[in-house]
This record gives sequence, C-alpha cells and structure tokens, in this order.
Amino acid sequence: MSDWYAANIVLVQSTMTTLLLALSIQLPLRVGVFSFAGVGCYGIGGYAAAICMIRLEMTTWPSIAVGTLLAGAASFLLGLLIQRLNGLYLGMATIAFTLIIAILAVNGGSLTGGAAGLFGALGDLTTGSILAVTLVVVVVFALSETGGLGRRVDAVREDPELAAAMGVDVSRYRRMSFLVSGLVGGLSGALTILLRSSITPAEVNFQLVVLALTVIVVGGFRSWAGALIGSVIFVWLPKALDFVGEWETVVYGVIVVLAALYLPGGVLGLAADLYHRLRSGRRGGETDDEKGAGGADAGPGAVAGREFDQLAVPGEGR
Amino acid sequence: MTAVHATTKPEVPVLEVRDLAVHFGGVKAVDGLSFSLTAGKIFGVLGPNGSGKSTMLAAVTRLVRLTRGELLFGGEPYHHEPPRAMAGLGIARTFQTVRLLEDRTVRENVLLATDDHLIRGRAARRAVAERVDQAIERVGLTKVRRLRPTELSYGMQRRVEIARAIAMNPRLLLLDEPTAGMNRQEREDISALMRGLQAEGLTQLIIEHDVQMMVDTCDHLFAMTTGKLIAEGEPRAVVRHPAVQEAYLGSRHGRGHARA
Repeated sequence: MSDWYAANIVLVQSTMTTLLLALSIQLPLRVGVFSFAGVGCYGIGGYAAAICMIRLEMTTWPSIAVGTLLAGAASFLLGLLIQRLNGLYLGMATIAFTLIIAILAVNGGSLTGGAAGLFGALGDLTTGSILAVTLVVVVVFALSETGGLGRRVDAVREDPELAAAMGVDVSRYRRMSFLVSGLVGGLSGALTILLRSSITPAEVNFQLVVLALTVIVVGGFRSWAGALIGSVIFVWLPKALDFVGEWETVVYGVIVVLAALYLPGGVLGLAADLYHRLRSGRRGGETDDEKGAGGADAGPGAVAGREFDQLAVPGEGR
Repeated sequence: MTAVHATTKPEVPVLEVRDLAVHFGGVKAVDGLSFSLTAGKIFGVLGPNGSGKSTMLAAVTRLVRLTRGELLFGGEPYHHEPPRAMAGLGIARTFQTVRLLEDRTVRENVLLATDDHLIRGRAARRAVAERVDQAIERVGLTKVRRLRPTELSYGMQRRVEIARAIAMNPRLLLLDEPTAGMNRQEREDISALMRGLQAEGLTQLIIEHDVQMMVDTCDHLFAMTTGKLIAEGEPRAVVRHPAVQEAYLGSRHGRGHARA
C-alpha cells in the first residue's frame, strides 16, 4: 500500500487540485452562468502564490491565502462587470479574461518571469494538508446542494423567472457564484504551483478550460460528486491508457463524445437516475398504482368514481 | 399604516391597476387598463389569444416593464419593486406553461415556494413543511409527492404548480390558465379548490378560456380584447354583453349560456 502510495503521490495530489479547478468551473454552471473565469483565477492564484513565495519570501500557507483571495476578488469584480451578459457572450467574455491573464503573465517582466515563468516556488505542503483543504471546500459545496439552498440554486439555473417569482434574488446568486468560483479556482492554482514549484503562462490556457469542462461533462455537472468522479477519471486515465500509447488523446476524445451524447447528466446523473428509479420502484404497490393512473393510457373509464388524486387523463375533454 | 392593516379594511382593494399600458415597440399589448380586486373574491379575465391577458399578468407581477400606469397592492404602490419582491408582498402566480424543476420531486418543487433563507428555527421549519404538505394534499397529489414531474400526467403537473403557489401563503393568487389540458373532472376539482381557498379569504384572479368554468367559478369577470377592457361585472351579464359576444365568444357562448 505504501509503495503504491509513494509511486502515485503525484496523481493523488493532482486529483485533488483538479477537483478544485473543476468545482470552480462547475459552480457558475450550477447557477446557469456559462463562465470559465475559474481557469483565469487558477492562473491568478498560481502566480500570486508563486510571487509571494519567491519575491516576498512569504511562507507557504500565507502565500496560498493571498493567491486565493486575490483570485476571488478579481472574479467578483469580473462578475460585476459582465453581469449583464448571458449565455455564449458571457462564456466568451470569461474565456477572454482567462487569456488576458496569460498575456499579462507573459508581459509581466521580472515579476512574472515572462514567457519562461517562475521557478523555485516549492511550498511546504503535505498530502494530508491538501486533503484537509479540499475536504473543507467539498463539504461547503455539498451543503450548497442540499435543502433549500440546493433547490434555489436549481431554480436559478433552470428558470430564473420562476426563481424570482419565488422571491429568490437571482443576480445575487450569480454574483456569489463568481466570488466562490474565483476563490476555489485561485486555491487550486496556488496549491498546484506550490506543489510543482514552477508556473509558466502556457499552463493558463484554453486547454485547461477544456480539461475542466471535460471533467464536469463526463463526471456530471450538477454535483460535487460529479466533479470528483470526473477528476478521478481524467487524472488516472493517462496511466490506465499507457498501453494505447500515442492513441491516448483519441481515446480521450471518444470518451468525451460518448459522455456528451449518452450521459447528459454525466456518470453521476446516470447513477442518480438509477437510484431514483430503484427507490420509487421499491416503494411498491402504492407508487405503482399512481404511475398507472398517471399514465396516458388510463382511459376515461378509469376516471369515474376515483379520488381526485388518481385522476390523470391528460388532455381529455378539451 | 402598514399594508397589512390597509387590506383588512374591505374598502381598500387588494390589487389596484391604474391606466396600465405595456407596449412592445409598436405593439400595444396592454393599453390603458384599469381595474381593482376587492378582498376575498374570485375574479376572472376572459379574452381571445393575444388580447393581452398574460401580458397584464406579467405586468402585475413585474416581469415586464410598464410603459405607463400604476400598480397598488393593499393601497401601496409597488410598480418600482423587482419581480422577486412579489413573494414577499404576498402575490403568488402560476404560469401558462408548466414550469417545474424536472429533477426534483413533487414535494421538493412545492418546497421551493417556502425556501426563504430567513426561516430560522425548528418550529418555523416544521410549520413550513406542514404548509407544503397541506398544499399538496389540497390538490390531491399526496400519494405522488415523491415522484418527479416527468413521471406525472400534464394535468397533475399543473396541479403541482397550483400547490406551489398556494404554499407561498399568498394574499393574492394569480392563475394563468390553470385548467388547460385537464379533463372535466379535474376542472371541477380545481374549481372546488378555488372556492375552498376563497372561503379562507384568499383573493384570486384567474385567466381561462373555458367560459363555462369562469361563469361557474368567478364572482366577477373582466373581458379583454386588444389590450383593453370591454366589459366587467357579474359573470353572466359579462358573457351576455353584446361587445363580448361579438369579440370572441361566438357559438361557444350559446352553449355556455343555455346551461347557465
């Protein structure tokens, strides 16, 4: 076990930082905001943490805190700036934001190390401490999916007008999603860079957007668990696909296409559907009866004399 | 004086609409509409497609920008409030099309109506849960409360929407074609439900095409064409009104009238 652990420690750590990045992209999607600003925030967090350590000679965790907060602030301001945009336009604006961060990094002179990037920012990070931080984030995200908050988030995404009619402040939820997405993206960037000890502008690019999106599409975009499933798949897949050699990226692409076509809710969505079906099926007679009454085949004959809650012949008698 | 006190006096209407106009470019969807709803009655709006009924409802719930006019709830102007303030005022509505969260159960959909983050404490939460279960009971969906909307018939889905609106504990309930797609028995049940809510003092405004149901259910009818009010008053009188007949009732009126 410990041999396995020693051999795969990089992948274990990478799974967690990928999960954080995926969560930062997933959160806006959950409130119906098509934003990829999380990747730009990854860059801000990474660079800020590296600069704190190398140039300001700060210790590991304060550097991570600076990177995280700075990214959160940048994302929140971006959210305010582009909150009137929607759909694809918003998506393009956030990708532009991400690319601007990369350009700033290239042209940052000695501060960012230009195209060569920054080296020697090796943080004092244990796998346990990364796990603890990741767990905190995951618990917060998991809580946001339960109870009333979870329902409100769903309503804001699926039908903002309905959400407003229910008294939900839709734009506040969207602003908050930018803030939290920025914080988590920044955290992911800071952790990644202090683990690797280096960062280059080439790492904050469109490919990272694609990776994060792939993780969510395949895993499932509605829940943190989907992001976790996706992160595990795509961090460990290259290792599992060793034998296909150069065909790796092709296999990768095929998986994404298949997931997009056949698993609209991702692996997690599939599991959740099966669970719901099992549960409502196992409740037995009661539920099955209703399904029968609710079905379109229940003829008019079935209507007479039945109770209100069993009447369900759609469209009849119009 | 607060709005709550104002509406308990019968002479202050729950809702008052003054010279309401909503224009989309050159299209005058609603143009100079004035009416008021007194507490505890069921009001109906009749009108052919495109007569501005739904636009009027959208204006009253602040979903569209007013070109002109004033809206007062319990005597207080509210036409500068955002749509999300309607729930707090006590205005609940259903929509013309089914708008439910597909991945949530019936009960969770109704719970959405009560998801006020200001609700604190176990007792308050239990009271809210009770209100939700009562609303589901009233529309007769208790046995299917754990199913998802996609597993229900269209008529049942519409009833989930009505339950959601009732669970908001509103002072004014706006129903946009609540019985569309329902069979006769279901329509009668909805009508009985509205009467039951009225007995508890709830003011209701309903938009419907079914003239017979409107005559049977409503205390007061408004008839609209091209964004204007052409008649209002006692339902049978409104239905018989020559302008109303000419505008859109046609032969349907004859049948509805004979039975009335």
